[in-house]
Amino acid sequence: MANAIEVQGVSKMYGRVQALEDVSFSVGKGEVFGLIGPDGAGKTTLYRILCTLLLPDAGTATVDGFDTVRQMREIRRRVGYMPGRFSLYQDLTVEENLQFFATLFGTTVEAGYDSIRAIYSQIERFRDRKAGALSGGMKQKLALSCALVHSPSVLFLDEPTTGVDPVSRKEFWDMLGTLKERGITILASTPYLDEVRRCERVAFLDRGRLRGIGAPEVILEQFRDIFNPPGIERRGAGCVAAPQQSTRPENVIEVEHLVKAFGSFHAVDDISFSVKRGEIFGFLGANGAGKTTAMHMLTGLNQPTSGTGTVVGYDIRTQHEQIKKHIGYMSQKFSLYEDLTVAENIRLFGGIYGMKDDEIARKTDELLERLKFDDHKNDLVSSLPLGWKQKLAFSVSIFHEPGVVFLDEPTGGVDPATRRQFWELIYDAAARGITVFVTTHYMDEAEYCDRISIMVDGKISAIGTPDELKRRFHQPDMDHVFTYLARQATRSAD
Amino acid sequence: MKQFFSFVLKEARHILRDRRTMLILFGMPVVLMLLFGFAITTDVRNVRTVVVTSQMSPQAQQAVERLSASEYFTITATVATPQEAEQLIRRQRADLAIIFAPRHEGLQLMVDGADPNMAQQWTNYAQQVLVNRSSSVITSKLLYNPQMRSAYNFVPAIMGMLLMLICAMMTSISIVREKEKGTMEVLLVSPVRPLMVVVAKAVPYLVLAILILTTILLMAHFVLDVPLVGSLFWIVGVSIIYILLALSLGLLISNIAQTQLVALLLSAMVLLMPVVMLSGMLFPVESMPQVLQWVAAIVPPRYYIEAMRKLMIMGVGIHEVAREVTILSLMTLFLLTVALVKFKTRLAD
Repeated sequence: MANAIEVQGVSKMYGRVQALEDVSFSVGKGEVFGLIGPDGAGKTTLYRILCTLLLPDAGTATVDGFDTVRQMREIRRRVGYMPGRFSLYQDLTVEENLQFFATLFGTTVEAGYDSIRAIYSQIERFRDRKAGALSGGMKQKLALSCALVHSPSVLFLDEPTTGVDPVSRKEFWDMLGTLKERGITILASTPYLDEVRRCERVAFLDRGRLRGIGAPEVILEQFRDIFNPPGIERRGAGCVAAPQQSTRPENVIEVEHLVKAFGSFHAVDDISFSVKRGEIFGFLGANGAGKTTAMHMLTGLNQPTSGTGTVVGYDIRTQHEQIKKHIGYMSQKFSLYEDLTVAENIRLFGGIYGMKDDEIARKTDELLERLKFDDHKNDLVSSLPLGWKQKLAFSVSIFHEPGVVFLDEPTGGVDPATRRQFWELIYDAAARGITVFVTTHYMDEAEYCDRISIMVDGKISAIGTPDELKRRFHQPDMDHVFTYLARQATRSAD
Repeated sequence: MKQFFSFVLKEARHILRDRRTMLILFGMPVVLMLLFGFAITTDVRNVRTVVVTSQMSPQAQQAVERLSASEYFTITATVATPQEAEQLIRRQRADLAIIFAPRHEGLQLMVDGADPNMAQQWTNYAQQVLVNRSSSVITSKLLYNPQMRSAYNFVPAIMGMLLMLICAMMTSISIVREKEKGTMEVLLVSPVRPLMVVVAKAVPYLVLAILILTTILLMAHFVLDVPLVGSLFWIVGVSIIYILLALSLGLLISNIAQTQLVALLLSAMVLLMPVVMLSGMLFPVESMPQVLQWVAAIVPPRYYIEAMRKLMIMGVGIHEVAREVTILSLMTLFLLTVALVKFKTRLAD
């Protein structure tokens, strides 16, 4: 039987950048094949070539026996494609989106219902909701439904679960498992190791070159330094209070009975907790559990409906301006200016927080040296790899030495080695007395925190050190603790 | 065919759900029509006039009577010296001074030249009133527009501008938006012919443009009293050719632009500016420098506006505008071909 995907010596250049260099591999019919590698490895380019969206400079590729260059229309009839970016119409409802894509592929929702039942039945009750109002996990399910409605023979998934919580990710991959039973070939890329392990074979792509191909365990072992870096040694563990700040209260964040209601819906439903100075506090929860809303209240972007709270000693209801001056914030959407250079970005944010010119200049040099960015001082931020941008964004967010820094999914979409480097920066900041408040979907990162809380349905259902939580719920690791708690959610994710 | 309708439906939903844009699209023609129809006018009326004379000679007396009898001029003051008159004009109390020189019979006009076009018109009118002593003004008969209403001039121009703006800008933006959001990738990786995607996108805007055309024509007729003497069939027919031309231009822009902002700027700068400046809407093409006249020759709205003036105001038959219609049709054909040939069925890299 012919292979579903056959790639022979494919190369692609963008200007002077080599995106793919002599890549060859093949994927059998009905195989679940993983494409892994750091940001900028050439994964998206490869998807686009296979989907007939780009022409390779050299080499050939066939999908389902058809040539990607000459038989474009045949391929477009047979494949399903989920690009990395959310690719549905936000202003159309769930049902309208599905109907549109069904007709696009010359079928109807009714005719294709069997192929999407397992997935669509989970979001069908929201059929009249606008796609833009769905949570991350639900959007991915809808996008997958839309890509599957015409029963494609090959499915291309470009990082389908980035930014999706662990429980939704597990459900998503369970669905992919059922697709395999129906003989659909799946080519998927992912930054999550647990997902890599669910593939039958994986190809490791790095800077446009295919470095290895084989069973997930073999590849993960072979490139252990990248995928499974040794754990981080916490220097100066525990809470370090800088002496000059000792006059301030010990708790940097204190929250009592905080509620945020949108109409009758309680996004955040009576939460109370406190975070000590110098602590790394992990704020976990499934998509739609209320994390972002809680974080907005703490950073003064949003007024609580009821309840009280202080951040670095200032009241979150009345002293927003003071709070904003004394905290750092890094959002999951990348928060530097792409068209400014590294130095210009630092200069800008230093200026925004009212730092003096000579202080900015001195600290900029220090920072660049610490990050080993000296050579890239005058590079445009847009030219840096994603992992570097994230490190830079974090460094900029603590450039003005805030009392606490809020990190909203800071490491989305990067490989384990880069994430590990990022966490070294976090430990560094904590050692200097900066409290770190971080949300993440990576459960290995949850283990790095001093304490974590897990939000379910707007409430904090558990809080404590990772070890305490594992003991309390009798689970082997944080991933299981999270899954155990998040599965108890009753309210629909949104 | 079902795919096509499903596409049109989707596009219509996008448009209908974007309330603010809808409001602007329909509000703009109404506001522009009212503005140009009532507020902005180049008609000469009630020009504030100062008479300068040391002693009222019979000739001066006569002239003043003739001036105030006409609806064009209002005598606001009589002063003794030209200096005083100049003061009045400088202080924005008067627009025009008529200086009767003492002793000999010379006449001098002093005009506020801040707006040269208007100043020129006032001077012409005043000269006519003053020179022709026997009767009041030379009786000239104005064909087609007996009351010299500027609305007659502006309505076709507004049609030319708005239809171009809405069709070209909105289609290009809606196509580029799909590129920007990543949905274009999914559409391309589907069995649908890319051409169909684009044609289906143009249909709702074609309907929208015809609705706006209807709004403009109704307002012109009932609010601004512009007669629609020509055949309505041909007015709409020529407009549809023009709309198709604008849609093709929008399509062409969407091929070049990668972001909505670029599409917007391209539509606004590359299309709108020449339309306003070179189409004869504000300044007559005939009085432009030769080079600009050549450029104006390839500005499509110019021919449309000309054709509309002839059809709507003069009420001539279609054969009288055959030249304009032929040029417009050829341009449409050319642009549409280029846009379709250039349309990318793969991603640009």
